[in-house]
Amino acid sequence: MTKTKIFMSVLMTILALIIAGCSSGASGGGGDKKDKDLVVVDWGGPYTDIHKKTVFEPFEKKYGVKVTVVTPPDVGKLKSMVESGNVEWDVVSVGDDFAIRGGREGLLEKLDFNVIKTDGLPKELVHDYAVPENVFSTVIAYNTDTFPKGEHPKNWTDVWDVKKFPGARGLYKDPMWTLEAALLADGVEPEKLYPLDVDRAFKKLDKIKDEVKVWWTAGAQPPEILATNEVPISSAWGGRITSARDGGAPVEVEFNQGLILSNSWAVPKGAPNKDLAMKFIAFSLEPKQQAALSMKYDNAPANANAVALLSDEVKNRLGLGQSSSQLDNQVYINTSWWVDNYVKVNERFQQWLLE
Amino acid sequence: MIEVKSESWIPVKQVSFSQRLARFTGLQWLLLFVPFGYIFILMFFSMADFFKLSFFDEDGFTLEYISHIFSTDVYLKVLWLTLKISFLVTVFSLIFAYPLAYMLVSTKSNLWKKIIFSAVLIPFWISLLVRTFSWTILLRKNGVINTILLDLGIIDHPLELIYNTTGVVIAMTHILLPYMVLSLYSVMAGIDQRLLQAAQGMGARPWKAFIQVFFPLSIPGLLSGSLLVFVMGIGYFITPALLGGTNTTMISMLIESNINTTLNWHMASALALVLFVTTLILLFIPLLLTGKNPVLKELE
Repeated sequence: MTKTKIFMSVLMTILALIIAGCSSGASGGGGDKKDKDLVVVDWGGPYTDIHKKTVFEPFEKKYGVKVTVVTPPDVGKLKSMVESGNVEWDVVSVGDDFAIRGGREGLLEKLDFNVIKTDGLPKELVHDYAVPENVFSTVIAYNTDTFPKGEHPKNWTDVWDVKKFPGARGLYKDPMWTLEAALLADGVEPEKLYPLDVDRAFKKLDKIKDEVKVWWTAGAQPPEILATNEVPISSAWGGRITSARDGGAPVEVEFNQGLILSNSWAVPKGAPNKDLAMKFIAFSLEPKQQAALSMKYDNAPANANAVALLSDEVKNRLGLGQSSSQLDNQVYINTSWWVDNYVKVNERFQQWLLE
Repeated sequence: MIEVKSESWIPVKQVSFSQRLARFTGLQWLLLFVPFGYIFILMFFSMADFFKLSFFDEDGFTLEYISHIFSTDVYLKVLWLTLKISFLVTVFSLIFAYPLAYMLVSTKSNLWKKIIFSAVLIPFWISLLVRTFSWTILLRKNGVINTILLDLGIIDHPLELIYNTTGVVIAMTHILLPYMVLSLYSVMAGIDQRLLQAAQGMGARPWKAFIQVFFPLSIPGLLSGSLLVFVMGIGYFITPALLGGTNTTMISMLIESNINTTLNWHMASALALVLFVTTLILLFIPLLLTGKNPVLKELE
């Protein structure tokens, strides 16, 4: 009898301790630090190192605040933070697709466009919950030993043409970008791309499926498979290829028909330093900071007004061409179409891969 | 008076602190309940909370997610591929690990023991991502293995060793091998080698002594190692993503995409639940089959 009682009381104590532990954790975070300390969530690696020098540190100096950088922007974590009411992040670098989904699910704050100026930004990528900070594209990349520059595939139709350009191919193991590439290869006009003709895209993909040796899943893969000539032609994220090329690898990019996506800023719902977050976003979009980042990193500035501050060499590296209008021959990915259709199309894509 | 007192104190002091603690009734239960509470609350509670998402969404109870999995081909196909790859990895790691573990217990040379242990354990401490990328250097078309085989004239065309199931199985076997070797070794080390000598002394040939005496006694290690490798293999993500081709999509990739890309946690939870139940069923089958093994019965 007494044994059971002791036993139960011990158990209850433990339970009580655990429950108390949970609740005290939730109420943490001091109020006096408000708007003095900003938590920015970024992708890490060289991108964040350059980001720190060109944007975060100048911001700290100008506003007399401290920026804490957390990596990576795990949006699953963001969702659970917002849902549990335990938000620790102020500004998050995200893909535009997440910004739209997160906005719809109520995970993000509406941006304050009184603070954030959007002139110069591509209107395709600006909406209530996110603004683009910089843009990058999925491009055609090739091995220069197999296809010297000038004799290389110049558009997606060439990529599909295995007679003219023999050899294995690499494509992204995700319907986003890959379906667009297929439709462009099939001769669809860039302006008429959306809504995507999914059936037509899969028909075109059927034609190249046997030639695709590598379905890549990580951005680091294409430079590696191209440099070793495992496949001579692959889709790739532009910056990865240009930095491999600058490191001496026999690889090159063709920016024509590149598919543009952005790194956008979003603010989680209930962010502790929301006002400072808006100021930070506005600061990062100023031409000076925009140009500083692109001088050192292979993403193009989202703000067209920053392009004038770049040297010709940098413009060339980023595929901006000599004209001042941004990214002439490239196509903006319509992320809101993808947000509406991704689940269905991805199921079909995964199924198609297994057939 | 004073003398008596000091005498009566001495035996108490001799009782160690832990022994005195053990006198408290219920304290030994505390030792059990702390880890139990830890596991129960942190693991089962959160798991149950997550699995709840499979059946409940904003509109209340629903079977939509579960039935979607069973009515869309891709999910069952991917589940099948996941189990197939894990099974292959388990079989291959068993084939490689058994002789290694046997060598470890039977060799008299300390040097060999050290060599085998370091060969098994050093890769174990290297990052998974690094090892996965290293395999691409070895396995690709003009990689180390193909170059050697071509130069030796053993093959005319490079073998397709990567971006398909072969590459995934090779790399996953290598990564999971230590778990199998260590499980087998821990059981084999406890087998009395004199039993083998006795069997041979009574006229059994060495291989017969091995098959009839040593092997049955090593079955518990074989089972625990296989279960460990199989269950860990089912959850693999990075290796199949980087070394696989069209036919190596594993279910954890679909779960991840639902968690982190589409934010459809209901679907992620339903997929995880299907995987969990399938694993439980698969683990139950060998348990039933081996229930009659005398070695295992003894363990119970």
